[in-house]
Amino acid sequence: MDSNSIANASVPAFKESKEFVKKKRGNNRVAKLKQCKMDARREQWLSQAKKKGSKGESNGIGGCVSLSNGICGRENQLVGSREVRSRGDEKEGGLGVHAADSESHVDNSLVGGVSGNQEPRKSRSQSSSSNSSSSSSTSTSSSSWCCSRSASEDEEEEEDGDDDDGCVDDWEAVADALTADDKQHHPNSEPLVEMDPALVDAAPSELVNKEAELGASEMEHCGQVKGRVENNRAWRLDDAFRPQCLPTLSKQYSFPLNSERYCGHGAVTWACNGIISQPSPCPICCEDLDPTDYSFLPCLCGFRLCLFCYKRILEADGRCPGCRKQYDPQNVEMDANGGPPQYRLARSCSMSTRF
Amino acid sequence: MQASRARLFKEYKEVQREKAVDPEIQLICDDSNIFKWTALIKGPSETPYEGGVFQLALVVPEQYPLQPPQVRFLTKIFHPNVHFKTGEICLDILKTAWSPAWTLQSVCRAIIALMAHPEPDSPLNCDSGNLLRSGDIRGYQSMARMYTRLAAMPKKG
Repeated sequence: MDSNSIANASVPAFKESKEFVKKKRGNNRVAKLKQCKMDARREQWLSQAKKKGSKGESNGIGGCVSLSNGICGRENQLVGSREVRSRGDEKEGGLGVHAADSESHVDNSLVGGVSGNQEPRKSRSQSSSSNSSSSSSTSTSSSSWCCSRSASEDEEEEEDGDDDDGCVDDWEAVADALTADDKQHHPNSEPLVEMDPALVDAAPSELVNKEAELGASEMEHCGQVKGRVENNRAWRLDDAFRPQCLPTLSKQYSFPLNSERYCGHGAVTWACNGIISQPSPCPICCEDLDPTDYSFLPCLCGFRLCLFCYKRILEADGRCPGCRKQYDPQNVEMDANGGPPQYRLARSCSMSTRF
Repeated sequence: MQASRARLFKEYKEVQREKAVDPEIQLICDDSNIFKWTALIKGPSETPYEGGVFQLALVVPEQYPLQPPQVRFLTKIFHPNVHFKTGEICLDILKTAWSPAWTLQSVCRAIIALMAHPEPDSPLNCDSGNLLRSGDIRGYQSMARMYTRLAAMPKKG
């Protein structure tokens, strides 16, 4: 059969063509991706068409077969032309051969799959398993991605033809499409694969492999995208919680507390003003209160002041500035949860509502 | 000394920030001495002082805020609790009832309140106090209004 010969002949040719493509990647990655995808897809189409042709199955998709046959014919021409191209390229030197080798692996196996399908009745699972095994053995993730993606696409196309039909232009677009896919049905592409009735007879190894490949390739290629997705989710969570518990909350919770505490007991407004500014200063001397001052509550009215001012007031007339009552040294409280609680409480409030 | 200065700076900033909060009171600090302030207060409405602008001089002691500022009227005012010649003010919060929690702004507010509610039982201006104590509200109001027009209102023409 001619495709067999194509396969055999095109193995070295593909190597070089891959090399050629590889070289091109430097200046045009998009083109490379497109090319790679198209190649893989054509191979897939080819294999399917051949298989169907060899099977002699015409279960309602005869048109499809003929179409793929036409594609096959075009593929022949294309391979030929590529051979010429790559031959020309050969002279330019063999840099990047190493990488090209690993890529050509895929193509070899793909072609091998095709040729394997040429043998009268080889199960599809074999071809796909060889396909998947080869792609799993590849070191270059991009090529494996191309293979797996296009393979799955080919099978998916039957039920959702609206997916990306080869007109994906660049990585960004692919990534976006993948994310969209993710969003639509979250356990990505698994339901698709399982839903496909044509695939049910395929070997489970293919499914597993494909899933793994898809997952891996998505992880690799769209790790950024996935990260974005996760970020999005986090953001959404944050958004949902933000109105209730973010900075506004500390104000809501702490300030009324303060004002209640101070104004409620009839202290002068100045005390409130002084306390609203965050490191609250002593209302008398305007120095910031330290933790000792916070735990120091000399009067039942709740008027707080620093120890220095308290001492000075005791030396003078000894009346509380808040209520003008005489300070009672017996009544002085050194409560642990009197002062800084404004802060601790506010913070714990926000924490508790947040988590 | 240092405490009073810090406190006065703080009050100064507060005053600058909240100028619009209390339109009745304008507190101006002396350019060279933060212990000397001038206040312009508007006479409260529905009193004989309505429409007048009264100037106050505030002298802040070094022990401030443990000791009250000395406040007196620079503008002539006919009020039972304000000395007609010196402008001295008889107000408890400026004497015994002072609290370090008070500020210059709150002192001015207290003085506005005093203008609206004179205390004829502890008069510094005996004539005014006598008029009120004898029940001659009308006499007191006309005298106060006259002095407001004479001293506290911008002269027309």
